[in-house]
Amino acid sequence: MAWTWFHRLGSPPYVYSLAARLTPWFAWPAAALILYGSYLGLAIAPEDYQQGDSYRIMYVHVPSAWMSLMVYTTMAIAAAVGLIWRMKVAHAVAASCAALGATFTFCTLVTGSIWGAPTWGTYWEWDPRLTFQLVLLFQFLGYSALRAAIEDPQRADRVTAVLAVVGVVNVPIIHYSVEWWNSLHQTASVMKLGKPSMPPEMLVPLLVMALGFTFLFAALLLTRLRAEILSRERAASWIRDVVNA
Amino acid sequence: MSEFFEMGGYARYVWPAWGIVFACIVLNIYLARRALDRARFEARKRVAMKAVDAQLKGEAAT
Repeated sequence: MAWTWFHRLGSPPYVYSLAARLTPWFAWPAAALILYGSYLGLAIAPEDYQQGDSYRIMYVHVPSAWMSLMVYTTMAIAAAVGLIWRMKVAHAVAASCAALGATFTFCTLVTGSIWGAPTWGTYWEWDPRLTFQLVLLFQFLGYSALRAAIEDPQRADRVTAVLAVVGVVNVPIIHYSVEWWNSLHQTASVMKLGKPSMPPEMLVPLLVMALGFTFLFAALLLTRLRAEILSRERAASWIRDVVNA
Repeated sequence: MSEFFEMGGYARYVWPAWGIVFACIVLNIYLARRALDRARFEARKRVAMKAVDAQLKGEAAT
């Protein structure tokens, strides 16, 4: 049957062992890609004719920003699947995303702020892009706070899932904010139609870093998902085989 | 080499930005592994408690 894979993904023991098997396949490439990307970005990529070496902040700022949106989107999709098909594992995925998303968003804001000092002459401006990115941080933190405040785990899953799904509206707002409003923040150089407005010597390190960050997110998500599944499956007998192995 | 670390005069912006991101990555790896270790420990404890319970019940029955 074509749908058996989907049903298997609803089974906590299957997902637990699948996550355990997959983690190293994401973790080691992530380490290699991030180290290689850092070397390319810091030492090999040419300096910018306008910004000098300060633009090298881009190699951590932009992947963090992409990840913050990708983590939120993942969280919202998992939450929606959890709501629609009442899938416990999907709620566990959504719960595992929140802390990871908050740190990527934090990194985006801090590195952007540091980059702003030499290029814009200010660490912070209440600019649409910056403001909505700050809102995203509060969405991740609010999700975790709401989850912590509700004692019944199933109710916590449902209520936080609604919050996550409704909040996904901020993802396109952040992406298009630089086009919809007059923004201090530059418009997209890579995530747009047509050719990226960057030479390959500068673009390749960025893509290597972005891929590394994506793999890192996958490895961290799978690890947190296993923890989440273990603490949720209180009565299940398969737990015994897993922890004694 | 020192030229590399000076980052064309932008060292005080470039290095803290990279440092914070790498610190966040390391912290995230640590926290995720700690979460899994704790969940495993708690699960092992629950399994052991259940085994003890079952044994006690068995002894009480005989």
